[in-house]
Amino acid sequence: MRKIPGAGARLGYAAPELMVVVMARLLSDATTVFTGVASYLPVLAVLLARRLYNPDLVWLNIPGRVNPAPSRIPRSTVHPALAEGGEASLTLAEIFDLSARGELDVAFLSGVQVDRTGAINLSRIEEGGQLKVQLTGGAGSALIYPTARRTLLWRAKHDTRSLVERVSVATAAGNIYRLVTPLALFRPGKEGLELESIHPWASLEEVRAATGFPVGEAPTTPPPRPEELRVLREIDPEKLREIEFS
Amino acid sequence: MAGKKLVSLDEAASLVKDGDTLALGGNLLYRIPAAFARELARQGRRGLRLVKTAGNYEIDLLSRSGSASSVVAGFVSFEAEFGLAPGFRRAVEEGRVSFEENACYTVIAGLRAAAYGVPFMPVAELAGSRVPADRGFRRVPNPYGEGEVLTVPALIPDWAVLHVQKADLRGNGVIHGPLFEDVLMARAARSVILTAEEILEEMDEGELDRALIPGFKVAAVVHLPGGGRPGACPPYYEYSPVEVAEYLYAAERGELAAYLEKVRP
Repeated sequence: MRKIPGAGARLGYAAPELMVVVMARLLSDATTVFTGVASYLPVLAVLLARRLYNPDLVWLNIPGRVNPAPSRIPRSTVHPALAEGGEASLTLAEIFDLSARGELDVAFLSGVQVDRTGAINLSRIEEGGQLKVQLTGGAGSALIYPTARRTLLWRAKHDTRSLVERVSVATAAGNIYRLVTPLALFRPGKEGLELESIHPWASLEEVRAATGFPVGEAPTTPPPRPEELRVLREIDPEKLREIEFS
Repeated sequence: MAGKKLVSLDEAASLVKDGDTLALGGNLLYRIPAAFARELARQGRRGLRLVKTAGNYEIDLLSRSGSASSVVAGFVSFEAEFGLAPGFRRAVEEGRVSFEENACYTVIAGLRAAAYGVPFMPVAELAGSRVPADRGFRRVPNPYGEGEVLTVPALIPDWAVLHVQKADLRGNGVIHGPLFEDVLMARAARSVILTAEEILEEMDEGELDRALIPGFKVAAVVHLPGGGRPGACPPYYEYSPVEVAEYLYAAERGELAAYLEKVRP
C-alpha cells in the first residue's frame, strides 16, 4: 500500500476521511447524484451527505434502484447490495437518458489524467500519436460530464502525472464543479482549475510541485468535525475508503 | 419442442462461429457468462467481437486466449484490489485485440438501434470527448430543427450470451436483481444463448414477472450452476476474490491452458 497523504500528521484523520467529508459537504444542496464504477469515495460521500446534510438527496447508481439504503458497503460499486432498500427502479441506460435530458444534478467522475480545463483521460496515453498505455475506457463519462449540471471530480492520487496541463486524450469534458485530491480542493476559475483550499498536511509548495499547471495561494481546507468522522466510521467500519489508496 | 433447447455447454458454445459478434450479459463481476467464455476459449474460437458496457473477467480471458479480436465496450477493468485487466491491456497494446472504446451510453445506443430495428440512434452530444471521432460516429442535420445530431450506428450482435438465475425448457429466461443491459442485448441480437443456475419445470407468478427473455428467440439453454463464477450470481453465490486472484495468478504466469482445464465448467 502506498502512503496515505496525511496519515503521518496524527490529526485523527487523513486523506480518505477528508476527501469523503469535503465531497459530502459539496452535496449539501444537490437534488440528484450519480455514482458509477469503482467509485468508493463517492458512495461514502453520498451516504454521509444523506445522513448529515441532505436527507432528501436522491442517489442513482449502476445496480439500478433509486435511493438505496445498503446495510453494508460491498467491495464492488456495481454490487447488487447497493440496490438494497431502494424505493423504485431506474436502470443504468435510463440514468444516462436522464442525464442527456439535463435532469441529473451532480455526477462523480475520475480520470487517470485530469487537466487544467477539467478534461479527463481514461482512454489511453499516447506518445507521438502512438498508443503507449491502454487505460480502462471512460465508462459513462463522455455522456455524463457534458450533460450533468455539475460534475464532481475526485482522484486519490495527486502528482504531475495525474494533474497535467493537457490530457493525452480527452475521454470526456464538461461541467466541472470541483476536483478533490488527497492534497487539495480545486474549483473552476477564469483560466481553468484554481486552488480553493489546501489540506492541512500539505503546503502550497508541495501542491505546486505535484501539479502540472500553475496554482496560486489558497486557505486551508476546514478539517472534518468530530460528528462527520464519527458517522463516516459508522458507515464504513471496514475502511473501504482506503481501497483507492492501495 | 420443449426440452430440445436444453443442451450441454459444449454444444451451446459450438453454435458460436469464428468471427461472430457476442454481446455478453451482466456487468463487471455480476451475473456474467464466465463458464461460457471459458468454454469458447477451450474450443479455440477465433476472431470474436465482444460487446459489453463494463466488463473484466470474460474480456480479459478471451483476449488472452486469442479468441477475441475486438472489444466494443465503455470500460474494461477489475475494481478495487485487482485493478486493470492486464491480459486485455497487453493484448490491446500489442495489437492483438482492437479496443473500440465507446461510452457505455453509445454501446447502449448501438444496441437500441438494433433492438428498435433502425439503422442508427440519435444521441446526446458527447461534447469534448474523443470517442465520437475515434469511432467515426457521424452527425446528421436535425430534420426537425436547428443544428446537427450525433448518431451511433446499429450494433447487431449475432448472439446475446446471458447468464441468468432461471430458465425453463422452452428457453424462457428469468432474471432476478439488476438487469444491466441483458434485456436490451436479447432484443438487439439475432439469437440468444442462456446459461442458467436452475431449470424450471414451470414458473410461479413472481418468476413470470421476471421472465424478461422470451424463449422463442433463445437457441440454446445450458443448465449451468456456478456458471457465473468467479463472479457473483445473487442469491446463489457471491463473487470470489480468491478465485479472481487464482485466475489472474495463473494467467499472468502463462498457465491459462492449465487454468481452463482445471476450472470447469
